[in-house]
Amino acid sequence: MVKPRGTDGSLLSSLPWTLTALVFSLAPHVPFIPIWITAAFLGCAAWRYVIEKQRRALPGTWVRAVLALGCFLGVLATYGGISGVGPGSALLAIMAALKLLETRKRRDQFVLLFLSIFLVMSSLLREQYLWSLPYMLLSILVVMTAWLRMSAGKSQTARQSFATGGRLLMYAAPLAIVMWVFFPRISTPFWAVPIDTSRAMSGLSDTMSPGDISELSMSDEVAFRVSFDDAIPEPRDRYWRGLVLTRFNGRTWSGREPSISRFAQDQIEIIGERVDYEVTLEPTQQQWIFALDIPYTWSLSKTFMGPQQQLARSIPIDQRISYSATSYTDYRVQTDLSRQYQIWYTDLPDGSNPRTAELAREMYTAAGSDRAFVNAVLEKLNQEEYYYTLEPPPLGSNPVDRFLFETRRGFCEHYASAFSVMLRSVGIPTRIVLGYHGGELNPMGGHLIVRQSDAHAWTEIWIEGLGWHRVDPTAAVAPERIEMSASDAAFDGIGATWGLTAPSRLLHQLTLTWDALNTKWNEWILGYGPDTQNSFMQWLGMNEPSWRKMLLTLVGLVIGIIMLISTVMMIRYRPPAKDEAAIQYQRFVKKTGLDPQTGETPRVFALRVQASGSMPTPTVETITEAYMVARYGPGGDAAFERLKQAVGAIA
Amino acid sequence: MSSIPWPFPSPRGLVSSVKARANTRVQTWARKRQGTDPDTTTLGSGRVYILPTGVGLIFGLMVFAMLLGSMNYNNNLAFVLTFFLIGLGFVAMHQCQRNLVGLELTFAGADSVFAGQSIRFRVAVTNQSKSARYGIRLYAPDTQSDVHDLRPGESKVFILPVPTDKRGRVSLQRFGVRTLFPFELFRSWAWLHMNINGLVYPAPSDNAPQPPPTMVAHGHRQHDARGEEDFAGLRKYHDGDSPRHVAWKAYARTGQLLSKQFAGADTSSQWFDFNEIASFDVETRLSILTRWIVDADRTLEDYGLRVPGGEFAPAHGERHRRQCLETLALFDGGTT
Repeated sequence: MVKPRGTDGSLLSSLPWTLTALVFSLAPHVPFIPIWITAAFLGCAAWRYVIEKQRRALPGTWVRAVLALGCFLGVLATYGGISGVGPGSALLAIMAALKLLETRKRRDQFVLLFLSIFLVMSSLLREQYLWSLPYMLLSILVVMTAWLRMSAGKSQTARQSFATGGRLLMYAAPLAIVMWVFFPRISTPFWAVPIDTSRAMSGLSDTMSPGDISELSMSDEVAFRVSFDDAIPEPRDRYWRGLVLTRFNGRTWSGREPSISRFAQDQIEIIGERVDYEVTLEPTQQQWIFALDIPYTWSLSKTFMGPQQQLARSIPIDQRISYSATSYTDYRVQTDLSRQYQIWYTDLPDGSNPRTAELAREMYTAAGSDRAFVNAVLEKLNQEEYYYTLEPPPLGSNPVDRFLFETRRGFCEHYASAFSVMLRSVGIPTRIVLGYHGGELNPMGGHLIVRQSDAHAWTEIWIEGLGWHRVDPTAAVAPERIEMSASDAAFDGIGATWGLTAPSRLLHQLTLTWDALNTKWNEWILGYGPDTQNSFMQWLGMNEPSWRKMLLTLVGLVIGIIMLISTVMMIRYRPPAKDEAAIQYQRFVKKTGLDPQTGETPRVFALRVQASGSMPTPTVETITEAYMVARYGPGGDAAFERLKQAVGAIA
Repeated sequence: MSSIPWPFPSPRGLVSSVKARANTRVQTWARKRQGTDPDTTTLGSGRVYILPTGVGLIFGLMVFAMLLGSMNYNNNLAFVLTFFLIGLGFVAMHQCQRNLVGLELTFAGADSVFAGQSIRFRVAVTNQSKSARYGIRLYAPDTQSDVHDLRPGESKVFILPVPTDKRGRVSLQRFGVRTLFPFELFRSWAWLHMNINGLVYPAPSDNAPQPPPTMVAHGHRQHDARGEEDFAGLRKYHDGDSPRHVAWKAYARTGQLLSKQFAGADTSSQWFDFNEIASFDVETRLSILTRWIVDADRTLEDYGLRVPGGEFAPAHGERHRRQCLETLALFDGGTT
């Protein structure tokens, strides 16, 4: 069977809009999909347009089949598979391109528009920036315009279609907002979400091997943002607790899989003021939840406190989440540690780092007490030639020995590890905490930005009567001895030389403003999950929010809004109001008891009324004259008043 | 290939028969509910029905898939998109219905046709509102009008061509008005049961026998002093008219050949008699009579019609033609 493949130009009015819609929805994908797909799409679009314009025939089945196979194999070769957002959107783009080549009827154009909606959708799965929302709305508006070009009658101009599309979108907006707010969010996905490996998450690793990786990334990427309800804690208190490492095998510190501990919270003895804050955490694909040292309460589902007072979630954090928490910067933890645990927390592998162990024992003998020894070790790190650097030399098989006695260069991990090993050597229980320290204050948003470059490791030591006590050996390395990364130094130098201080400060201000907006965006829009929704519902006054209550509210509100929209439409489509003068005249007509005939003018009718004698002649004349002037003559307002009076007099 | 009778209806046939039966049911119900409509009917919201179209169902499925995707990825922007599309669906539904509600439909007659031609029922549709209405179409079983847009206050005549096959009065029991605007996601429609009918003349026979001979009635010549006849009027010239009688002045003025008619002049007239062509059956006879009338009317001959139960004296003109053809169209066997 041979299908006719000719075109007759009948799609000329709608095809350009369909193409525009496709271009709009494809644009956000362009940086992520191979360039040849974009080129293929644009080629097909231009080809199709020329075909329609010149009323040529569409390419044959064989041409299309070969093209389709080629493109599919191309995607397979580029991605090595077809699942995931990347290959998925590449395939959508190709489908759209190839569909264009067989688009002859309106039905085909519907398929194209559906494809372009899917393209918009998949671009949202890829990235959700602040500008993604307005761009998405614009794309939808263009799709709707294209749709109207297709389905409205011939008399609607493109501009009218655009305006109609915009109006319908405006009607839809309140419905969308209500549904968005009240649609119950669930935390568990139905099916496994494929992780986009092209954008690997940077975060903390679960183990720490100082000296293995000889360079720490100084990624500017945001780890999380924190807004405080009241005052922001002092910089020296800004330790963001993450995971705790307790085991050391001579090279690597490791912790345990996150596990719940029923006693961990009870072991905390709070002393000072509470600090309330809200964290918006970027996805890490890990289970650790970061909180100010030391966390006491938190509002995040499926989150628990581990035996070392670390917070963790039972599911990986694969999307941005927000949670509020309460911490106490002044506290005591586990003042009572059993003998068994004391041994456990001082465990070291036999024979590793022998020089360190020997040094520790010597220093302990000299110091005499635990406290004096700890101070002596910190003093040693402070007074002797140790350098803080992000690019330390690699360490060998006894990394602590090599660091302490030979290279003397390292970053937080090296210091924390060396410090812990020295303390454990003399029987003082220690553990290492991985987390973040500090954070930049954004004065615009009043929140802290904690970046990946703020990642930090510090030590907690256990002292009789005092419990676990935080000691940051890196802080002992005095700031003036911190050796900065060469690139940072170079950047500062250039800025100063070229006098860029002021503009760069302005730039910094703009960056901070943008970040402030982004924070609100992340917190309120992207981070609107089961927990935020729950607290928002409570803030709205819903008692014990449940998905049932939310759905009921949603349905109720949607029905209400639809009724409102229906009323607005009814008003828009209502017949034009009757003339006020005509209404008055009708009252008079009713009073006369006569029926005006078709084509009878008011004057002729007046004669008939006078003939019937049902009303005094002057009244009839006044009303008729006033009505004629009010309706057709100049000076209508005064005439209308006269008409109203006269009719009022007879009524 | 011989077809083997299959005892069960084919699935497609079953579906369409169920559909047809349901359709009849619903239409009967609507008819009962609405009663007969006056010749000018304004559509109230209670009688405008709405259902999703195929595109609408696919759109619904797509949106549902998008909702599942948004929930799975817990992607709040995808939620925004999904809910906007759902909202647009609701809005489209109301817009689609509003596009019809308040329309005023008036039956504007139908020109009579010969059997076999399509009778074109005219319905004026008026948009009595301040907003434009788009993509309106009238339809009836087996036929539909063009799609028109109506600007605020605009009135347009929609034409429903209905094929005819036999003479007589045809009525349109029911017709509908529908729209797919704005997105073709929904089809909203209303049924109207107006008293709409038109007349179908018998089809002019293609192989009619020769018409009966023309009879010439001689006028009495009234000779007066100048020997002139009484001038009675002008009529179109046709072959055989004396050049003496051509109105040359009128020809110079209008370029049209007209003959002067005089009272008492000779007139030729034909009688078309139903009973004189008794060798044919009734319908064929009516067809033949129709052919004769049409031909005679074209040549402006006078003709008379005689059928059982009716007689029209020889004459010509639009009114005469209509009367004769109407008689033939409604001929019921001459039971007087």
